[in-house]
Amino acid sequence: MKFNVWVLLKILAYIAIIMFFLFPIAWIFNMSFMTNEEILRKVPVLFYEPTLKNYIGLWKGEIAIEGFATMYVYFKQNLINSAILSVGSVSVTLLLGVPAAYAFARYKFKGGEDIAFTLLSFRFAPALLIILPLNLYFSKIGLYDSYFALIWVYQLITLPLLLWIVRGYFEDISPDIEYAYRLDGHSWFQSFWRISIPLAKPGIAAASLLCFIYAWNNFVFALILGSSQIQPVTVGALAFITASAIPYGLIACGIVVSVLPTLILALFIQKYLVQGLSLGAIKG
Amino acid sequence: MSYLNLENLSKSFKDDKVILNLNAKIDKGEFFVVFGPSGSGKTVLLRLLSGIMLLDNGEIEMDSQVINEFQPEERDISMAFQNFALYPHMKAYDNIASPLRADNKNIPDDEIDQKVKEVASLLKIEHVLNQFPKELSNGQKQRTSLARSLISKPSVVLLDDPLRNVDAKIRFEMRLELPRVLKEFNTTVIYVTQDFREAMALGDRIAVLYDGKFNDINSPKNIYQNPSSLTTAKLFGDPTINNFDANIKKQNDFVHVDVKGEQFKLKRKTDIQDGDCIIGIRPEDIILSNEPSENSIEVEFRTKTPLNLRIVFLVRLNNGLEFLCSTTEEESQLIDENKKMYISFLDEKSHFFDKETKRNLE
Amino acid sequence: MKINRKLFPYVLTLPALLVCVGILIPFFTAVYYSLQRYNLKMPHMKGFIWFDNYVNIFSDPSFWNTIRVSLTYTFFTIIIELLLGLGIALLLAKRNWLNNILGVLLVLPLMIAPALASLIWRLLINPNFGIVNYLLSFIGIDDFTWASHPDTVLFTLIMVDVWVFTPFIMILLLAGLRSLPRQPFEAAELDGVPEYYKFFRITLPMLFPFILTASLFRLLESIQQFDIIYALSQGGPGESSMVFQVSAYLQTFQYTNIGKAAAMMVVLWAICYFLCHVFVKQWHKLKIKTKGELLQ
Repeated sequence: MKFNVWVLLKILAYIAIIMFFLFPIAWIFNMSFMTNEEILRKVPVLFYEPTLKNYIGLWKGEIAIEGFATMYVYFKQNLINSAILSVGSVSVTLLLGVPAAYAFARYKFKGGEDIAFTLLSFRFAPALLIILPLNLYFSKIGLYDSYFALIWVYQLITLPLLLWIVRGYFEDISPDIEYAYRLDGHSWFQSFWRISIPLAKPGIAAASLLCFIYAWNNFVFALILGSSQIQPVTVGALAFITASAIPYGLIACGIVVSVLPTLILALFIQKYLVQGLSLGAIKG
Repeated sequence: MSYLNLENLSKSFKDDKVILNLNAKIDKGEFFVVFGPSGSGKTVLLRLLSGIMLLDNGEIEMDSQVINEFQPEERDISMAFQNFALYPHMKAYDNIASPLRADNKNIPDDEIDQKVKEVASLLKIEHVLNQFPKELSNGQKQRTSLARSLISKPSVVLLDDPLRNVDAKIRFEMRLELPRVLKEFNTTVIYVTQDFREAMALGDRIAVLYDGKFNDINSPKNIYQNPSSLTTAKLFGDPTINNFDANIKKQNDFVHVDVKGEQFKLKRKTDIQDGDCIIGIRPEDIILSNEPSENSIEVEFRTKTPLNLRIVFLVRLNNGLEFLCSTTEEESQLIDENKKMYISFLDEKSHFFDKETKRNLE
Repeated sequence: MKINRKLFPYVLTLPALLVCVGILIPFFTAVYYSLQRYNLKMPHMKGFIWFDNYVNIFSDPSFWNTIRVSLTYTFFTIIIELLLGLGIALLLAKRNWLNNILGVLLVLPLMIAPALASLIWRLLINPNFGIVNYLLSFIGIDDFTWASHPDTVLFTLIMVDVWVFTPFIMILLLAGLRSLPRQPFEAAELDGVPEYYKFFRITLPMLFPFILTASLFRLLESIQQFDIIYALSQGGPGESSMVFQVSAYLQTFQYTNIGKAAAMMVVLWAICYFLCHVFVKQWHKLKIKTKGELLQ
């Protein structure tokens, strides 16, 4: 008897968890295939003819609404911006972060740990504190509203992340392997490029993907430091939802398109996620 | 003119002076064994020579050129690491070929291929060339690592206790095979080990490293028979050399020894002075018997145990002093532990050391 | 290429170091602004006023409201996420196909941008067509006010935060649970120790470093949460969901009072700095611990 109660409670718990955490995502996907009329029904329809109208409209940038004039939406540019900003940030982070991670892993040098921890603490500094003055600076020197400026600020989140994850991977490589390669007659750079990097590759790849996700998901930097010309999907979608008269299906569709890249990437880095999220403290 | 000249090498980590004023002159083509207890700085020394670590002080001169500031890749020195240090993402073939692929060498691929196969066949690992290090047995890893260190025919090869991490059978095989292989390459070898048998089996000369420097540099035979100090004497031999405080007095052809009241005499000539000293005598230089002889001392049997194909007896003098004696299997069969037992010394093989400095007095 | 070996690590870290400096400059500028009367609309009034901005914000009831709201938000998000995350982790701890799939799927909310998560929920709780409202009507809750009423807005925000970040706690604790040594549990089983005792005396204490690290992590982020709140309620209605960063944002862009906004951010920074220190210590400990276990 007691056994049955436990099993029942467990099943209920599973259902509750799935409903709360996964149903919202499923429903948004569902909405993105609906017309406005279907969404606006007081009793939700379960069976309807899914339409790709929203997706086509989003891609074309214009959507015809019956009884109204044709609407123009610029969401595609937001998607392109997100891609540019995320790929740009990750590239810069790789360029800056991998050699630094290597240095922190391999050498004990004066101030090394201090720099590493200072970089880590940036991850937890209130973003606005740094962006407010930057906003004024950038306006002055004409960097406001440029990809470059945003990518630079994005380093605030991506650099410490990559640094601390990749550092752990470099630490796991025996220095003797690198020395052996040097003794074979190769320069430091060659041993770095052909030994250390390939051996840390899984970590570097996972960290870059995680950095990509964090960059893609960032909201506050672009909100403050960019105009709509360079704003990513996170900011774009908010403007989208607050603008009147945009069909809800189109909004849902915009959201789906915005979250899809990170959701897909997340599936790829499953194995490394725990390590990445804990900045390398916990091995998953 | 020696080929490799080490002068006053010093290296410390914080306050720990690992290498202190180390000197040696090593000849071209020599098999030079560095022997020392664990933690004596053998690996550090190799790292200094290879350029992985930099010296605090001193000079490394190779072929009349000071190479202190040279990067590891500029030294023409190769090294086989104790942990093999194979590149996990490369097949055995590419591991071995790595030194030939250095930029400045410009060796065509077919020549590399030929050389890899040559050295692989010499070390009997042709059949595993297409495998990754993690698929290799320890013995194969060790051969691969050796092949990699030899293939480019470097002027000096450093071998960091290469037989340490392989099992006993392979160690035995390699001990026989290594000299032959190394001879093929005709290179100067510096070989680190903490196994005195290995050192004696392989080395042209052995350098004994402790207290940060080479305390003996000599042929295996000389070091064993005439160690410069008690410490060296203790390092060579298993079980270790018996040693005890004694008072000696020379008389004619004899040395009269007084050990805590127990007296006996050794029939040997020496020019050391009378007085207190430490006497060392190896367990195999003690003769054990049930019959008394001219200079024998009566002892009491304590216990015995087999060790390295010999039998080691622990016996005790009347004054409580304990001795280890080692005999062959056959000899031990002749001895009845229940009867009275006597020991006598192979007189010429006893050593006298200074009580304070532990230096050999002869 | 001959670079002094002692300098070499600095050469490698130099680019990252420059970014470091590039971040520190605006930080000090912000601190400098916080000591100034600085309003973009009144540029000629700019001047040094020492700590007046701080005195002002601390005597301003709306700032105390901000502190109260921020702490309430932080407190409830952490507690709920921790309990829920721990519960789910325990539920999923055993490896089987269902748990493995759920372990993957439940991470998805965490991978969604918090701002977009807010938007998802805005669509789900829309008073006109929100599916959640429809579902709630079955259990007798009609016309729940969600973000449109001061009494329910914090609840709504916390719910979204819980939705996004519970998976974070869950995934870390799950990894922690699965890494625990088996022997104590086996010993307890042999001794016939009751379940609740096993949980409180063995599981919890061994999991504690993981729990602490994960909660400190969340604490640091939760107290500065901006995206979720800005995208859902913008601090309203009234000031009922006005947290630190949203408040500072509005100070800057609505009232253009840079000095005051900077002062508020410095206060938040001080709190975060303190928490960050505690966190880094704990995080480092855990890192060494898990690394050490791997070595064995």
